[in-house]
Amino acid sequence: MASMNTSKDQRDSDIQKKIDHEIRMRDGACKLLAACSQRDQALEASKSLLTCNTRIMAYMSELQRMKEAQVMQRVALRSSVAGPTDDRLPCKGKVAISDLRIPLMWKDTEYFKNKGELHRCAVFCLLQVGAEIHDTDMVMVDRTLTDICFDNTIVFSETSPGFELRVELYSCCSEEDYSSGSTPRKLASKLSSSLGRSAGKKLRVAMDPGACSPISNGGGATLLLPLPSVVGPKYHLLAHTTLSLSHVQDSFRTHDLNISGNEDCSYWVPLYGSVCCRLAAQPHCMTQQMMSGCLKVKQLGGDLQSWTNIYGVLKGTNLFCYHRQEDMEANVEPVFTIAINKKTIIGVSEKDLHSKAQSICISNHYGGEEVTHTLSADSREDTHRWMEAFWQQFYDMSQWKQCCDDLMKIELPSPRKPALVASKQGSLYHEMVIDTSDDINTVTNILTRRMQELELRNQLGTSPHWMSLFEESPGRPHTRHCLPHSPLRCPWPGLLSSDASLTSDSDSPCSTSPCSRHSGWAKPLSLSSPSSRFRPRTLSLDAKLSTLRGRGYGGVLQCSCQPPSSSSLAPIPAQGVPQATLSCSSSTSSNSSSEGSHSPELSDGTSFSRPSSARRSLRNLRAKLDPRNWLQSQV
Amino acid sequence: MSFIPGQPVTAVVQRIEIRKLRQGEHLILGFSIGGGIDQDPGQNPFSEDKSDKGIYVTRVTPEGPAEVAGLMMGDKVMQVNGWDMTMVTHDQARKRLTKKNEDVVRLLVTRKSLEQAVRHSMM
Repeated sequence: MASMNTSKDQRDSDIQKKIDHEIRMRDGACKLLAACSQRDQALEASKSLLTCNTRIMAYMSELQRMKEAQVMQRVALRSSVAGPTDDRLPCKGKVAISDLRIPLMWKDTEYFKNKGELHRCAVFCLLQVGAEIHDTDMVMVDRTLTDICFDNTIVFSETSPGFELRVELYSCCSEEDYSSGSTPRKLASKLSSSLGRSAGKKLRVAMDPGACSPISNGGGATLLLPLPSVVGPKYHLLAHTTLSLSHVQDSFRTHDLNISGNEDCSYWVPLYGSVCCRLAAQPHCMTQQMMSGCLKVKQLGGDLQSWTNIYGVLKGTNLFCYHRQEDMEANVEPVFTIAINKKTIIGVSEKDLHSKAQSICISNHYGGEEVTHTLSADSREDTHRWMEAFWQQFYDMSQWKQCCDDLMKIELPSPRKPALVASKQGSLYHEMVIDTSDDINTVTNILTRRMQELELRNQLGTSPHWMSLFEESPGRPHTRHCLPHSPLRCPWPGLLSSDASLTSDSDSPCSTSPCSRHSGWAKPLSLSSPSSRFRPRTLSLDAKLSTLRGRGYGGVLQCSCQPPSSSSLAPIPAQGVPQATLSCSSSTSSNSSSEGSHSPELSDGTSFSRPSSARRSLRNLRAKLDPRNWLQSQV
Repeated sequence: MSFIPGQPVTAVVQRIEIRKLRQGEHLILGFSIGGGIDQDPGQNPFSEDKSDKGIYVTRVTPEGPAEVAGLMMGDKVMQVNGWDMTMVTHDQARKRLTKKNEDVVRLLVTRKSLEQAVRHSMM
């Protein structure tokens, strides 16, 4: 009786210590919240605050329960309801939940629209079994994420098979202005701070339905738990679910979530409605030795007198029989193993004439055969203890059900946190995306970089020989071959007189440049016979490349010239440059002069003339490539 | 002409046959197009539904082949010589209209007034 009391007091003081610890943590979190300026810090501090509060509540309720149980027991004893209470308790076990994944369901409009900043929320999970509460790390969620993944493995030790694991998902909007969902609280905190501390606190407690009521502990002093006025991000419960033994499995399973909150809440994250996780359990009967001792074993059907002395260890679904105890400690293989599982039948046989005590018969089905082993202990007490152990084992197996079929693996979380933490949580989509409207820019950025590398190489003196084309004095009069009012353009005639052979560009690293050089201004890039060497490119890309090239090499070089009958162009084919022919030949009928605005009036008098100045073409092409414009083409 | 995802697009169309005009080395049709799946549909002044990424006729040159054939500004081009124009990029659309070896293009276009006309005639 006395010992029982002290153990209870021990537990009381344990819980009290935990409560004190949590209160200290909570105070620390409040101070941090008030002091920090960074958004992430505030979110983390708020998360710790919520966890501490929940833990304090849980410990308080546990304390209450224990008090009530004590009272009940005293009452029971007084009314002398004695008698062997034959309540066998199942063994405890370890329960682990890992790889939590909550799929999201963004609307396609939200996913693809490009409206400025992402709406972000901070989420984390609280996992609770009894009074044991663990929280996961915080994850930032925005529309680039397809699932919320929590990498933590959380292990609850000493859980009974009737456990209830409550999973709660909390979220908080991560934007500066979060006034929409939290006005009442802000108001409350304002009120509390302006009315004076005690009055304000009382008011706050009254207004806040979730505030703690005063709870008395064993010492008799009332412990008031006012909710400190929180200034900072506040988490709200977004979804919850409860898992139990029936959900335990050695693989991933999907469970339904109960979602609280709707689209109008500031902390809303569109959940698909389920949560995937791996919930595993290791009952102690599977991992620990439940009983061990010396036994004599004999197999039925064998020699009646041949008993074997063994050291038996009951663990999991087996009774391991070793020669000696030292063998077991040395991890030597057991001599033989007797299965003790749901299908085993154990009975006590009649007292043998030759033996002092009753013997235990264990029969199993191996294959089609029934095999029976007979165990005999040294004394009656031993026999009784072994039977007790077997009964307990059977009871545990019936309580832990599927967890006793096979030992489930539980990976202990590694104590070391990964050093690199991604500053922005993102899914594969986030990393892979090349915005379609920015495709040109992305490609040209890459090309610009390459060209810069080339320039660098130039400086180092290892430029490819076609580069000399572009090094021709930019001051060379380019109007030499220009003819006004011609609808056609052609590459710079300087090209024609150059000795450089463009066929060698195939071994240049930047194979796009020569192509761009030609096709730049001879625009209507529906080249009727593109060279197979170069990949066909869209009009816009080529134009953009040429723009870059033009910019890099001192302005746009462009001239108009007559159709191929002109003598100045004759040498082109001789040079073996297919591109030039194309560009100067009668190009396709689609000589589009693109305008980048809505009022597409051509400046010239004739309806079908084309602007002939380089500037306007450049501007037109730039306008054409700007995704903000709505292009129009003349056909 | 509204687009409901998953439902086929239905429209009242008019056939317009345009004979290209040869001008020097070019074959021209005499109108301008705007739109395309790579363009911003919100800037289309002719579309009813601002998320419509179809090809619209933005200008018709007076006395040009298109005007003669009956094309009007604001028409949405649905097909060109059998090729679909409701889900094409701007450049693809331009190319389909300006094939060198084709002298004639047969367009299927739709406009709001057509639908109204049909509705009135059915009443």
